[in-house]
Amino acid sequence: METKHDVVMTVTGLSQKRGDREIIRNISFSLLQGECLGIFGLRGSGKTTLLHALAGIDRISSGAVEILGHDIRKDFRYKRDLGLVTQEPSLFKDLNVLENLDYIAVLKGCSQQNTASLIEKLELYDYLKKPINSLELGVYQRLSLACALLNNPKILIADEIIRDIDLKSHQLILKVIKSFLEAGSSCLWGFSNIEDVSLLNRLIWLEEGLNEILQPEEAMVKWNEIRKVFSDMNQADPSPPSPEV
Amino acid sequence: MQLLAIMRREFFYMWNDKGLRYILLLGPVLGFLLFYGIYSAQVLKNIPTAIVDKDNSPASREVISDLEGTDYLKIVAYVDDYEDLESMIQTGQVVVGVVIPPDYGRDLGNRNGSRLMAIIDGSNTIYATNANTAILGVSRTINSRAGIKNLMAGGLSIAQATDAFQRIDFYQDGWFNPTLNYAYFLVLAFALNVWQHCCMLASTMNITGETKFSSWLQVKASGYSLNRLFVGKSLTQIAVFIAMLMPVYILAFGVLKFTLACNIAVLFLFTIVFILAIHSLGSFISFIAPNAVDATRFGMIIAVPSFVISGYVWPLEAMPKLLQPVAWILPQTWFFQGFNFLVFKNPGSNFMMPYFGVLTGIALLFYLVTALLIYRKERC
Repeated sequence: METKHDVVMTVTGLSQKRGDREIIRNISFSLLQGECLGIFGLRGSGKTTLLHALAGIDRISSGAVEILGHDIRKDFRYKRDLGLVTQEPSLFKDLNVLENLDYIAVLKGCSQQNTASLIEKLELYDYLKKPINSLELGVYQRLSLACALLNNPKILIADEIIRDIDLKSHQLILKVIKSFLEAGSSCLWGFSNIEDVSLLNRLIWLEEGLNEILQPEEAMVKWNEIRKVFSDMNQADPSPPSPEV
Repeated sequence: MQLLAIMRREFFYMWNDKGLRYILLLGPVLGFLLFYGIYSAQVLKNIPTAIVDKDNSPASREVISDLEGTDYLKIVAYVDDYEDLESMIQTGQVVVGVVIPPDYGRDLGNRNGSRLMAIIDGSNTIYATNANTAILGVSRTINSRAGIKNLMAGGLSIAQATDAFQRIDFYQDGWFNPTLNYAYFLVLAFALNVWQHCCMLASTMNITGETKFSSWLQVKASGYSLNRLFVGKSLTQIAVFIAMLMPVYILAFGVLKFTLACNIAVLFLFTIVFILAIHSLGSFISFIAPNAVDATRFGMIIAVPSFVISGYVWPLEAMPKLLQPVAWILPQTWFFQGFNFLVFKNPGSNFMMPYFGVLTGIALLFYLVTALLIYRKERC
């Protein structure tokens, strides 16, 4: 049961346009304290657009978003309690691993105390002096998560954080996010592989600008139905298009 | 507090980058020492000279004695014929050749006048200009002596002849740099040119990393104002640029006692205004350039030719009329011109006001435009 106290993010009638095209159409939901809410959709469904709007990177076209009691169109203080892992690599290319951690800690205005613990938890010690363009994707994502968590955020926004990464990094990232959630923080998790639902409490299924809030089990059922449709089409036509995720 | 953290981090980032640290710390000082070493002679003397004496008379030996007597020429060879002299000039063994014709002494004795030939290697204009001046000095002495001898042959006493010949005393008084000392004129300006290159290039990287590529997402998600970040990084860079120059000014004016007509505080203030001007321009480039490589290229395009265009070495007035307004757009022109006035002449505050004013205006303009561009990017 939601209470006003439990809600850390409220999105009401949010729409996002890119040019004349409406990417997100009238989406409304709440994120609860300690909850991991998935944002699922096929490629181009608007996951990143939605997450960037909520992270305050892009301006909101219409609707209202309140995060930790702040209207994000007027008050940016909520960013102090926000962590972001972007889908595209966004760490500083000309800095090494340690310098990225140091610089982002300075930008976030947080102390360096958290850095050592995150280096240890995400097993980054061996990479500290390495330039980030030499890192494998899994290590890069571990570093991105470490940077996002430097300020002990209350809300983590993670966009495709475990897609196409090695198993070790996958496990480390899930472990750290699980512990983050257990501590009472919340997570918005953008993803496009339906199998990545282990930590989710609920998910928002984005499709052609519209959205539907589902339980992970319901999403699995829906996904399997879609697969079946495509599978049937596959049998009827030797070269049908596969669902691109 | 966060601004201080940004400044501290920027300083340590510059310090930790070994290449950048050595360039910033040692570039201007090493440049200064190198240029001082090169121009340590200060005035170009002992220009290698060869003599062809076809006359071998007392009069020709007097000419040779005059040539040997000047500090500016050094007689390194006495050759028998013109071809040998030509070969020596072509191979760079001598810069000046003096040819005394066969009947020089006899013609002077007959009061017919005579002609000496000085050949100057013009392939190095600085050598040639100095050689020309030295030859002119010697030729004046030789002419005077010949003229006085002629008058004495006409019956005048030596005192009368000297008095009659030297009616006009053309007194020369060199101001500001009386000995035409190359070190005073060039060494510090060259070192400042190296320094302004370093400053310009470092400035062009000011906010490239933060505003280009996807790293912008990190800055924006952090909630820290990019304009405040810009201020923090800029203050550190400006402080570093000033610190880079201190040893050069201390060496030049404190240790080596270079000419300084104005108060050191005025020169220091003028230098800071110039730092602000080029830092603002570099920061603007760092924002508009599509990437770090292009930012460096744009910086180089401005910094590299700016010293030559500034008119410090080759006068602006002698440049094509079309180029002169372009030169005055560059902050380097205002700085090097103003620097020359301050160091050698100290023409007073009214005269220097436009130099201070334009550099301040450039700084305000580019800082304002960059801040507005940053503001617009943040609001998108």
